[in-house]
Amino acid sequence: MNIIKKYLSKKRWVAIVFATFFLGVILTFVSPVFLKFNNLQSVLVQASVTGIVAVGMTFIILTGGIDISLGAILFFTSALFAKIIVGTGSYIFAFVAAIGSACLLGLLNGFLVNKFKMSPLITTLATYTMYRGMAIHLTSAQNVPVPREFGFIGNGKIAGIPVPIILLFIVFGIGIYLLTKTRFGLYVRAIGNSSQSAIESNLPVKKVTLMVYLIGGFTSAIAALILLARVGGLQSGIGIGVEFTVIAAVVLGGTKLSGGAGTVVGSVIGAIFLVLIDNGLNLMNASPYIYDIVRGAVLLTAVIIDRVSIVRQTKHLLEQKAMRIESSKNI
Amino acid sequence: MKKMFGLILIFAVLSTGSVFANGNKEAAGDKQITIGLSVDQLFESRIATNNGVKAEAAKNGFKVIEVVADGDAQTQNSQIQTLIAQKVDAILVCAVDQNTIETALMKAKKAGITVISYDRDLPGSKSTSASSAPDSISDGLNCGKYVAEAIKGRTDKVVILELLGALNDQNGIDRSKGFNDALKGKNVEIIQMPTDWASDRALAATQNAFQANPNIAAIFAATDTQIPSIETVLTDMGKLKKIGEDGHVIVVGINGSYDGYVSVKNGTADGISVMDCKTIGETAVKLAIKAMKGEAVEKVVVPGNFYTTKNIEANKASIWGAK
Repeated sequence: MNIIKKYLSKKRWVAIVFATFFLGVILTFVSPVFLKFNNLQSVLVQASVTGIVAVGMTFIILTGGIDISLGAILFFTSALFAKIIVGTGSYIFAFVAAIGSACLLGLLNGFLVNKFKMSPLITTLATYTMYRGMAIHLTSAQNVPVPREFGFIGNGKIAGIPVPIILLFIVFGIGIYLLTKTRFGLYVRAIGNSSQSAIESNLPVKKVTLMVYLIGGFTSAIAALILLARVGGLQSGIGIGVEFTVIAAVVLGGTKLSGGAGTVVGSVIGAIFLVLIDNGLNLMNASPYIYDIVRGAVLLTAVIIDRVSIVRQTKHLLEQKAMRIESSKNI
Repeated sequence: MKKMFGLILIFAVLSTGSVFANGNKEAAGDKQITIGLSVDQLFESRIATNNGVKAEAAKNGFKVIEVVADGDAQTQNSQIQTLIAQKVDAILVCAVDQNTIETALMKAKKAGITVISYDRDLPGSKSTSASSAPDSISDGLNCGKYVAEAIKGRTDKVVILELLGALNDQNGIDRSKGFNDALKGKNVEIIQMPTDWASDRALAATQNAFQANPNIAAIFAATDTQIPSIETVLTDMGKLKKIGEDGHVIVVGINGSYDGYVSVKNGTADGISVMDCKTIGETAVKLAIKAMKGEAVEKVVVPGNFYTTKNIEANKASIWGAK
């Protein structure tokens, strides 16, 4: 039992794998279509938008930050892309402008957090309002339909695999590589563990902070393009609440809200888990009134797990410290 | 000291200016009526309705102060307080949440300001004089009747997917009621999925619904802006067929957006009930004028028009989203 506990506290993402598996087993019994290839493929397609943004959000939360404005960046990027594509017909221009502006907006978040030492929550709450306002101003809150051929990003297939799933796996792969195989990934965790120690150790804290918010912006842009293609055009409701679903996925995936510990794998599985809840409720033809209750309950569980694990880890650290003091006394 | 003197001087100049300004206004005698327009959120159909409000206000020489709450009930609450402080003559309100703003609206009423709700009725409200809203029940009925007619003659149980709007939105509730009423007693199974008016949620819900019920024969979207999302799912499954083609899935919706218009025109969707946004907006101002004069006013519902692939192009001019 202790070994399992130890393993779970080290590999925090394992819990969400178990939870997803467990939910999968329940849904297999509840609905005969759950395990069908088409349904599982549809779950992955649905999880692609949340999953991709969750990869970016993981980096941000790992540094101890948070970005509430990612949904607004997603909205602005969609708006800019749709306006350019309708206005000029140039896909290259639209792609470059949309992805470039999303990175810039992310960078601005990082800059504000760095420069003015403001709380990331408050900073990005302010930029959330600003970015949404910019998008509404750009489109005058009108819907902008995009050309049908653009739908390929949302509905197309390459070698039989839906494009959103391919994009999810590419972003996922890059995320894992950056976090586990590069010095940058190491710095991200170090800053989250203790930004003070990171500064004292001369780590490039400001650069890394800028970079994680830029990654957040970039992932929002990729998600924006998928969503825009799938819903067939820009609508002023796009992106509302995405950030909260994404934060939920990241926390469910085992990333500590206080930073320092977490994985990209966990966040993507967290995104799949959230889609499974909706998928399950849909497959069961559940009453439309219970959706929010179930979602809320799951979120609450995730936050409690996060809190309990912080308390447990703090307790563990204090015990270790006490043991060290005790042993030094004996010497 | 110099700074202090400067400040006093500026204050004195400003005060004199404002006294003169007030004097001019009063001297003119004919005070311009100001309407406070409290908007829940900006999106296509709301803008079309607001344009109706502004056009009617301009026709009467009224000034309009527009405030947008961006979906936040608390923001709307404080915006209404600000409108009261600005001493507007009437407030036209489309509420984010009725309960949150009722106190502010009562305050407006007590201050002698006429309150009219527009686009979204505020049932049971003690603060509003009247409302101008779409006839959502009849819009839902239009869609339901079309589906009932289209499935006539089928002996098997017909599975219908209903994409609901927001569960706490009176228009969403009424649209659903109308649709379901039209199909009462028919051999149908209606699967309801919440979407909160969001197209991405409609997309996921449609995808999941088809996994559980591959034989869905008709889809009702509470807003036709969700029709492209429905078409995405139908395309994914190779089920996007035009009216008359074998395996066509019936698609109907309410609103009158460009998305709905294009799909119905192409025949991939069957019909949409188009709201008369312009009239709803104009009526709100007309009601305010009457109420300000002390005349009795009551709730006005403006029915929409149902257009199908056959007649939508001929009626393009009356579809607010198609212009």
